[in-house]
Amino acid sequence: MNTRRVTRRRILQGAVGAAALAPFGGALTSCAAGTTGDSGAKKKQPAKSATSANNPFGLEKSSSVEAVIFNGGYGYDYVTFATKQVDGKFSTKTKVTPTTQIAQQLQPRFVGGNPPDLIDNSGANQIGFNTIVDQLESLDDLFESNNYEGTKIADTVYPHVKDPGTFSGKFAAMNYAMTVYAVWYSKTLFDQNGWTAPKTWDETIALGEKAKAKGKYLFVWGKEAATYYHTLAMDSAIKEGGPEVRLALENLEPKAWSHPALQQVFKAMETCVKKGYFVPGGAGTQFTSAQAKWSNDQQAILYPSGGWIENEMKKATKAGFTMTGIPEMTVTDSPKMPYESLRSAAGEPFIVPSKAKNSAGGKEILRAMLSKDAATNFSKTRLAPTIVKDTVPSDGFGSSALVSQTSMLSAAGTNVFNYQFGTYYGLNADQLTVWNSFLSGKLDVAGLTKGLQQISDKVANDSSVKKLKVTS
Amino acid sequence: MSSRTTTATRPAGTRPAGRGRRRPLTFDRVSFFAVFLGLPLVIFAVFVISPFVQALYYSLTDWSGFSASMNFVGFDNYVRLFQDDQFVKSIQNSIVLGLVVPAVTIVMALVLATLMTVGSSGTGTVRGLRNSNIYRVVSFFPYTIPGIVIGIIWAQIYDPARGILNALLTGAGLGGFENFAWLGDSRTAMGASMFAIIWSFVGFYMVLFIAAIRGIDPDVFEAARIDGAGRLRTAWSIIIPLIRDNIQTAWVYLGIASLDSFVYMAALNPGGGPQNSTLVMAQELFNTAFTKGRFGYATAMGVMLAVVTLVFAALVFTVNALTGGRDKEARR
Repeated sequence: MNTRRVTRRRILQGAVGAAALAPFGGALTSCAAGTTGDSGAKKKQPAKSATSANNPFGLEKSSSVEAVIFNGGYGYDYVTFATKQVDGKFSTKTKVTPTTQIAQQLQPRFVGGNPPDLIDNSGANQIGFNTIVDQLESLDDLFESNNYEGTKIADTVYPHVKDPGTFSGKFAAMNYAMTVYAVWYSKTLFDQNGWTAPKTWDETIALGEKAKAKGKYLFVWGKEAATYYHTLAMDSAIKEGGPEVRLALENLEPKAWSHPALQQVFKAMETCVKKGYFVPGGAGTQFTSAQAKWSNDQQAILYPSGGWIENEMKKATKAGFTMTGIPEMTVTDSPKMPYESLRSAAGEPFIVPSKAKNSAGGKEILRAMLSKDAATNFSKTRLAPTIVKDTVPSDGFGSSALVSQTSMLSAAGTNVFNYQFGTYYGLNADQLTVWNSFLSGKLDVAGLTKGLQQISDKVANDSSVKKLKVTS
Repeated sequence: MSSRTTTATRPAGTRPAGRGRRRPLTFDRVSFFAVFLGLPLVIFAVFVISPFVQALYYSLTDWSGFSASMNFVGFDNYVRLFQDDQFVKSIQNSIVLGLVVPAVTIVMALVLATLMTVGSSGTGTVRGLRNSNIYRVVSFFPYTIPGIVIGIIWAQIYDPARGILNALLTGAGLGGFENFAWLGDSRTAMGASMFAIIWSFVGFYMVLFIAAIRGIDPDVFEAARIDGAGRLRTAWSIIIPLIRDNIQTAWVYLGIASLDSFVYMAALNPGGGPQNSTLVMAQELFNTAFTKGRFGYATAMGVMLAVVTLVFAALVFTVNALTGGRDKEARR
């Protein structure tokens, strides 16, 4: 009677127990991020050809190249345009994969040590550069090589285009599209009303009064894009107070946001909020419908944004709008940097992973993109400038916004600056929250300063985050 | 059954069939065990248990998610979690969601289900409202729409300038709601989000409860009616005790869904809402992993989310047991 019998229940119990214990029995060694890369056999690099002026990276004839391209505002066919040229020259087979989920799609491939040869690491789901910069090829040799016209690439591009893709001294990302940050308005509307585009914050506030008389607002914002005003505020302050403002922000200094120049800009913005120059309810409005209130309904007359705005709002822009950009306002008439200074960051960072099977192919595609044909094609089809100078004709392919971008760039000359801390540490989401509250009038200047300082401090005090060192 | 034994004919001293009787382990039985027990258990171990254990391990490292190397950092991530005011805020939001959404949904679903089954006039046979089939179908609609679509629809409804809600309110003479940002004001963002989530769930749970009520013997209702029970009394003393198990299941499911809420929140307020008032744990986890490239830390958040969910389920079962859910006899 008392002998332990094997019953169904006992077998079940045993089986469940065994299953629960199984993972502890050495299964841990087979983790998803298991051992990869170096310990394995040497990866199959196509035998590199000898390098020459026509083949600076030693791309092997008829090898395969793989590119994964962010499919966003600019689409991806401009890359295909360049890969066709490369395939024609080297009879390679290039596969271009468009995606909007760069990080999600490529994460396992980075872990597994088999990333593609070229990546356009852009969009909302871009991979944070602080996590992968060590795994990328340096692209200095790309800028030292000649383009398809035989000119050295470094001599054909705008100044400072390396900066946004340079992390702690390593040039790891080639940013292709020239993004000019500016304030945009409809020239037609301004001419009709006899308004002039404002250069300082005082002029801006005065214009706000005039707009109000016409039943219009000065600015509009949408919940996902509240940080466009964050960009505007920082740029204004950097122009006003000079590089010291920028360096303090970049290096996450403890009192960076209390700099007088920033405080003056915040105060001016607060005045605009208090006087009701912002279209109300922005914190609950989807950003493209907010932007349409500026481009289509003309409820608001100014909008700070990057040069992509024309392409983004193409379908929702009033006919005869004549979109025009002006440099961001300064606080006084005598800023430390000239009024014409711009935050111009080359955008759309293209990267070549070190572990890629055919990194020469990745670089060769970039070389094709930086040559005249492909760069002109990009500007013509996307109405945005690339980092290659002199590819946009004076009529801007019929786009007033593109004309104003190129003229702003020429006027700025070398007075071009940029900063990386927001994207590098992935702070945009946190900053959006604070800005939405400020623009809704829920936070005053002190609250905004405190909020932004907390976001910076949190990263600065977190020993587990690798910091960016910016010295110039 | 091969041996048809009943208590009357069973010889003294033998046990009922199937209780501790040794049966020879024939090939048939072993292969049956292997296929019907072994295989599912292996699948379960490989696809459920081992990822969970791996997640525990990753949460103790500083893995960035984009390289094969990582350092073991012990409980640093967990210590950081509780000093991270934003994550603490997201836990609070998730818990509020996990308490309010299931409660409101279940109460509403029960009220509606009662109306559809016993809500008709207090005399004659016990019947639901007329045309209740139409109501059932209509209220089930939202459940058939994917969450992301529901989120987008409601984000449009709440739009300050073009949203139908403000149009109705201002049309009704409430001028204060002109350009009111429902999702952009920290006082209303959470409530508005919850409303959208509840709206999407109520129909399904109503149908579930109706099915359960239909399973109750109609004689019980008739008897209650003869004893003079009104509709409210019927709902409180008969329906709720008799469909308790369904309610408990619904509660656990809804709790898990609302603790997550990622889909709805990502559509309504991708940034976490004004002053992070609608930020939920899953959103914070996603941002930490993919925009900040800190998978180790994000995994620790995931483990916390799992713990909160398990605690929630345990709570529901405990409450149910304490309020007499365990005694199988109907309470009198």
